[in-house]
Amino acid sequence: MKKIKRYCRLYKVLVSQFLKTIMQSKVDFFMGLLGFFFTQIMGIVFLYLVFEQIPSLQGWTLDQLIFIYGFAQIPRGIDHLLTDNIWLVSYWMVIDGDFDRYMLRPMNLFFQVICEKLQPDALGELVIGMILVVISLSKGILAVDACHILLFIVSMIAGAVIYTSVKLFFASIAFWVKQSGPFLQVAYELTNFAKYPTEIYSRAVRFIITWVIPFAFVAYLPASYFLMKRDALSTIGVECVIAALLWIVSYSLFMYGTTKYESAGN
Amino acid sequence: MGKFIRTYLPFTSNSLKQNMAYKGAFYLNMFCSIFAAFINYYLWMAIYGSAESGVLAGLSKNEMVIYVFMSYIVSSVAMVSMSRAVGKDIQKGDIAMTLIKPMDYRMSLIAQSLGTMIYRFILPGLFVWIGLEIYRVTGLGLPAVRISNILLFLLSTFLSFMIYVLFEFCFGMIAFFTTYIFGLEMAKTAVLSFLTGQLIPLAFFPEAVQRLFDFLPFSSMLYAPVMIYLGKYTGSTLMFVLARQAVWVVLLYLLGSLIWRQVVKRLIVLGG
Amino acid sequence: MIQVEHIEKEFVSPKKYPGLKGAIKGLFSNEKVHKLAVDDISFTIDDGEIVGYIGSNGAGKSTTIKMMTGILTPTKGKCLIHGVDPNKERMVNAKNIGVVFGQRTQLWWDLPLSESYTILKEIYNVSDEDYKERMEFLNEVLDLPDFFDKPVRTLSLGQRMRADLGAALIHNPKVLYLDEPTVGLDLVVKDKVREAIRVINEKYQTTVILTTHDIGDIEELCSRIIVIDEGKKIYDGGLAELKETYGTRRKVIMEVRAVQQAKDLDWEQILGKPADTFTVEGDEENNLLSFTFDKNDLQVSDVISAVMNEAEVKDIQIQETELSEIVKAIYQHGL
Repeated sequence: MKKIKRYCRLYKVLVSQFLKTIMQSKVDFFMGLLGFFFTQIMGIVFLYLVFEQIPSLQGWTLDQLIFIYGFAQIPRGIDHLLTDNIWLVSYWMVIDGDFDRYMLRPMNLFFQVICEKLQPDALGELVIGMILVVISLSKGILAVDACHILLFIVSMIAGAVIYTSVKLFFASIAFWVKQSGPFLQVAYELTNFAKYPTEIYSRAVRFIITWVIPFAFVAYLPASYFLMKRDALSTIGVECVIAALLWIVSYSLFMYGTTKYESAGN
Repeated sequence: MGKFIRTYLPFTSNSLKQNMAYKGAFYLNMFCSIFAAFINYYLWMAIYGSAESGVLAGLSKNEMVIYVFMSYIVSSVAMVSMSRAVGKDIQKGDIAMTLIKPMDYRMSLIAQSLGTMIYRFILPGLFVWIGLEIYRVTGLGLPAVRISNILLFLLSTFLSFMIYVLFEFCFGMIAFFTTYIFGLEMAKTAVLSFLTGQLIPLAFFPEAVQRLFDFLPFSSMLYAPVMIYLGKYTGSTLMFVLARQAVWVVLLYLLGSLIWRQVVKRLIVLGG
Repeated sequence: MIQVEHIEKEFVSPKKYPGLKGAIKGLFSNEKVHKLAVDDISFTIDDGEIVGYIGSNGAGKSTTIKMMTGILTPTKGKCLIHGVDPNKERMVNAKNIGVVFGQRTQLWWDLPLSESYTILKEIYNVSDEDYKERMEFLNEVLDLPDFFDKPVRTLSLGQRMRADLGAALIHNPKVLYLDEPTVGLDLVVKDKVREAIRVINEKYQTTVILTTHDIGDIEELCSRIIVIDEGKKIYDGGLAELKETYGTRRKVIMEVRAVQQAKDLDWEQILGKPADTFTVEGDEENNLLSFTFDKNDLQVSDVISAVMNEAEVKDIQIQETELSEIVKAIYQHGL
């Protein structure tokens, strides 16, 4: 308990220092926001254009697809906001030896990685995601009661944990191969599959994004629960189990990887 | 000419080497590329499966298969991003150093991009292309693509590459005015994936919007070569599309020179 | 106490081939290059010692330090720093040590130095009283107040080095590792940094282990040095003994009349030693005759008395080998 309190305090100190430095460049902040905002908007425009031609996509309406799309952005945005520094580990920190300084400080290594940076660009995703969810609410296609609201929050957190775990897993490979950015990129791009109902994919793809890199569980499957198409246990329940398992595997790999860390200059 | 090639060829071969330096990245690119193209493929198959008519926006289902993979090939071959490299040179102040070297900064960048283009033409380009043609003949039961179409497609793709690279140069210069080009990059990628027809054929847009696109360079970056490959342009239309690409190469070259001159002026005043 | 027991570190990397052809070949080959950076090194360091850890570039200095600080895990063997294995209990060890890497700052680049220190105080959980006392001491020896409110990126190299040194000491570590602490500094700042290290060592009995290429650092700070070459320990002992053992070359310069004449004498016979054990040089302009030899072959006194028998000697000067020359010889594998 004392430890948790200490880490909370440290997080506050470290993050507030970081915020001080980024507040100096508001232009950059808006630029980043704009970038992610645009990316999301384009995805929505795509859906609109397609639905000009077809009434529904394998039984899914435009409204439902927009909800899935928006729903997918929230856990992605949460993870993006809090753990963006993992990208730097996989691309540069290991190969340049910058990871040294984490190894020298008496703090948990993963904690040090994530409290080094907050990524305000992520607000672009979070805002779009929330807007789309609110729009969907107004359309009355979602089930709304205490249980659904609670599970919505649970699902957001579990989804973010899945994102973080997958990122951490692929970033950890850098301890062996020095630079794992391209691997991480591939894995992260698979999340784009999750924006649409997995039924449209072939069985092999569906298998991969459900059970190998389980991004189906960060968006489409839980979203289908809120759209009243599936029950809670087979969606949110499995999502939580997967989140926990993935986290354990990734975190262990990361900690084991740090013992293989070779620093720079050899 | 010989001297020109001797000066810039090392940039091309170096960037080719760099692209091959990481074995892991090489295989991953292959894997990643095919995957990304397949998301689009499945999505479009589902869309056609749900459509009442077999032809959407002038493209049949089979043509859409070819569109998805060919636009994928063109985007990876022709759209070689260098604005980030430019931005980095500007922020680190290395750009001032390029002024004292006896060569043209933009040419050296283009030579570098050419290396990447060659690399990507082979991987994933050729692999996906051959795979697609085999599928086209055996799977879809269509006749193989005509040689004349291939040649025109290659010419058009090269023009696309030039347009894109020259555009990127101008875009990279924005780094002079902001320290954080990453956000703009994101926005650019997103907007381009739309305006070039990478994500969805331009014929899906409303008439008025399409007419607007005719006056922008973006459709010449990707849509033109893919439609040529599909044999959608013939005769005078074909000539017009190729000529329009050539005009954009010239215009963007001039625009780049203009911006570069301003940048150099500023560099001299501010000293980097 | 620091115990390093038979540590070894091997790096494995994929083999790189030159040229464009090589790049293509590399895609399909799976050959690896093994490099033993540290090869079975052991030593013990007592509390309060200042030890210079020297060797040429790539000899394995930094690799050893990185294993001792917990950054790298040894391939074989282990270190115990005050009874703690840095690879097993990284966080416990991190509280016991302070580290300064000359090339790389640990401070927050964009923040004022004072804020970096506040963060470090939190990280190392230093109480307010301890922090105050510590800062008073550090301000005194490192002149921190001169630049305490400036962002780290605006500091000069000398200021940054002092800032880093202070940052490594906020939590009163038992062991201080310094990797090239004076590299790139001007003479005045170098002196200041060395003085600070000495004071810290005396006042808090902090054990200091430093790697350096600067002979001045060694001569002024270290009572003991460990020399490594190609990953192996080749010397461990006092500075005086090193000079004694390896600095055996002597040069005796004498002012004589008729230098040329004296030089041409048959010294081989006079000294009773073969010609390859010494060299004789004459400087007619200044009337100087000099003998260079190894003191294991000849005694200085023998040379002087021999010369005095043969010529009229007005002045005598005896030179020993300088430490820098010994180190240079070590770096060139001349031992």
